[in-house]
Amino acid sequence: MTVLLENVLDRAPLGVMVRIARIDWDAMSEDEGRRLREFGLMEGCEVTPLHRGSIFSRDPLALTVGRMKVIIRARQAAAITVEPAA
Amino acid sequence: MTGAIPSIALVGNPNAGKSSLFNALTGARQKIANYPGVTVERKTGHASFADGRPISLIDLPGTYSMTPASLDEAVTRDVVLGKLDGEKRPDALIVVLDAANLDNHLCFALELLALGLPTVVALNMLDLAARDGLTLDAERLSKELGVPVVPTVAVRKRGLSELLVAVDGAIESHQPRATVAAPANDASLRQRAHAIANAATVDETPVRRWTQRVDNVVLHPVGGLIILVALMFVMFQAVFSWATPFADALEGAIGVIQTWVVGTFPDNFLRGLVVEGLLAGVGAVVVFLPPILFLFFFILLLEASGYMTRAAFLMDGLMGKVGLSGRGFIPLLSSFACAVPGIMATRSIPDEKDRLTTILIAPLMTCSARLPVYTLIIGAFIPATNVGGSPVGLQGLVLFGLFISGIVGALLVALVLRRSVTKGNAAGFMMEMPRYQWPRWNDIVIALWQRAWIFLRRAGTIIAATTVILWLLLTFPQAPAGQSQVEYSVGGRIASGLEVVVAPIGFNHDIALALIPAMAAREVAVSAMATANAIDAGDDEDAMAEALGDRIAGRWSIATALAFLAWFVFAPQCISTIAITRRETNGWKWPLFMVGYLFALAYAAAGITYWTAVAFGLG
Ligand SMILES: Nc1nc2c(ncn2[C@@H]2O[C@H](COP(=O)(O)OP(=O)(O)OP(=O)(O)O)[C@@H](O)[C@H]2O)c(=O)[nH]1
Ligand SMILES: [Mg+2]
Repeated sequence: MTVLLENVLDRAPLGVMVRIARIDWDAMSEDEGRRLREFGLMEGCEVTPLHRGSIFSRDPLALTVGRMKVIIRARQAAAITVEPAA
Repeated sequence: MTGAIPSIALVGNPNAGKSSLFNALTGARQKIANYPGVTVERKTGHASFADGRPISLIDLPGTYSMTPASLDEAVTRDVVLGKLDGEKRPDALIVVLDAANLDNHLCFALELLALGLPTVVALNMLDLAARDGLTLDAERLSKELGVPVVPTVAVRKRGLSELLVAVDGAIESHQPRATVAAPANDASLRQRAHAIANAATVDETPVRRWTQRVDNVVLHPVGGLIILVALMFVMFQAVFSWATPFADALEGAIGVIQTWVVGTFPDNFLRGLVVEGLLAGVGAVVVFLPPILFLFFFILLLEASGYMTRAAFLMDGLMGKVGLSGRGFIPLLSSFACAVPGIMATRSIPDEKDRLTTILIAPLMTCSARLPVYTLIIGAFIPATNVGGSPVGLQGLVLFGLFISGIVGALLVALVLRRSVTKGNAAGFMMEMPRYQWPRWNDIVIALWQRAWIFLRRAGTIIAATTVILWLLLTFPQAPAGQSQVEYSVGGRIASGLEVVVAPIGFNHDIALALIPAMAAREVAVSAMATANAIDAGDDEDAMAEALGDRIAGRWSIATALAFLAWFVFAPQCISTIAITRRETNGWKWPLFMVGYLFALAYAAAGITYWTAVAFGLG
């Protein structure tokens, strides 16, 4: 059985590990892009989205990357294209 | 390295344990908490090598790279590069790594190593790495990095002397190592960090982490918010019900001293000053030490456990709607204790406008200085019953309501500000979520003791001074027989002048009298009223024994009391907050704006409350 994934991180189902295929760096400010990379979010790395938003809004998104858990905004997650992890 | 005292900077990622190491090495009491961005400025302390040679240690804000995203991170870069005015560059670095997150922390470490300063790596949090099933090889790591690596557990003071020995050695034997350039771009830097982390990891057993299960509950879109509100609710209930016996005991003790002084000394100027000014006035504030400590206790638990960033996550959606970010919720929560450190903590907010807005609304949080005022009025007018047979106390509920009004008010103000004076880009929100930790009781007890001390010092200085000045103003000139001393005095007449302005919003002479000295600090409102009451009571023992709350309950209408509470939700009555705002915004423009808008809001809120209450027949 294949799991069909929406192809941006913002739409990816929670709790399923995905690999980052591409990040549209132009969709965010330089500072935001740098902080993403400092968190380890780069092409090729594997992440698991875990928690998304509250009753107030879809924002933010919490995900694990390596041994870290980080919070980012949906706007950035929408700029990250993902593919199923091997 | 002869002559001058070597200075050694602690650097690394946020939350790696730099301040914990700093405290352990210097005996300082820097704030430690389990979320990134706790330390926002540089701090120096003294320590010494084993043979007694002194060294100077520098604790720095955590950051992820040499390119800062916020003010606090810029400090770190400037210090490390020796660019800070009037500061020499550190002679050596201690790079602090979280052993359980090497992949990430090594990136910044590699950048720091490339600077070529004498460097030692502290492989910290080894206990947490073990909890996560990691076994690391410090020697291998040292070989890969080319600098000494010392295993440490900062919070248990493990590895400290070894660390200092290594630093000493590194400074002594240092040869310029300019050759170890950091990888040119982010991706290769990360690859190299990953390779080193892999090499240093001996064993990695996957462990089922209970923390994930906790997060599933705590970060639930609905359940998580309910838990957050429930936590705050319990906090304010506890402030009332748990702390009351302690506060009553303190009050009793002060009463005993008062009676003793009155009975022992002849009636003169000094006795009046001590009994009416210090014991009645300052004592009325000191009795609030227990509830304030309970409040701090809860906040410390939230900070130490790692819940703060979870709260930030949950509140981000709401904060985002008013143009702020979840990041700003952490300084706001800290402002429950006191707005001053809360405003300092905004330095970790990257966006300038986001930060400014958060500073401007921080005084709206129900800080501990408001507790005396709120508690006094609630105690006087709200019956100590439970709501409809439940275990929920009505008084605690009202306090909780005031606290919610502060938050709602703050969010509404932010909404307006972000569309007018602090207009700008939508704030972003990117933050690391730390692992949960059990709060360390030692740390909490010490932090509470520190807070108690600060509170008592405040009572002994600014509150005592203002109260004594007020006592003088209320004691002279002597009123002729049959007239109220308080109303006849200089202070009383000034208050009568102010009363004209505040009478429309239901404020009486008691309140007018308390408002001006309370500009120094909110608690002074309570000490001022207590002093005025004590003067009015004169030698009448019954009147003196009567608690301040009971006297107020007999003299004020409910509408006036409610208006007074509403006033204090908004009024910016705190010199320290105004001063810190001036410092953090580099000028008078924003503090003046803040004072102006808050007084306007306070007046309006008190007025609306009063007129509504009167309309409902509570006048
Ligand atoms: N278990 C464990 N916890 C530690 C250790 N060192 C620090 N901590 C905890 O880690 C958290 C962060 O410690 P801090 O010393 O405030 O970290 P910091 O590096 O100064 O953080 P920032 O100032 O935000 O950059 C606190 O909850 C500490 O109690 C350690 O060796 N073991
Ligand atoms: Mg720190």
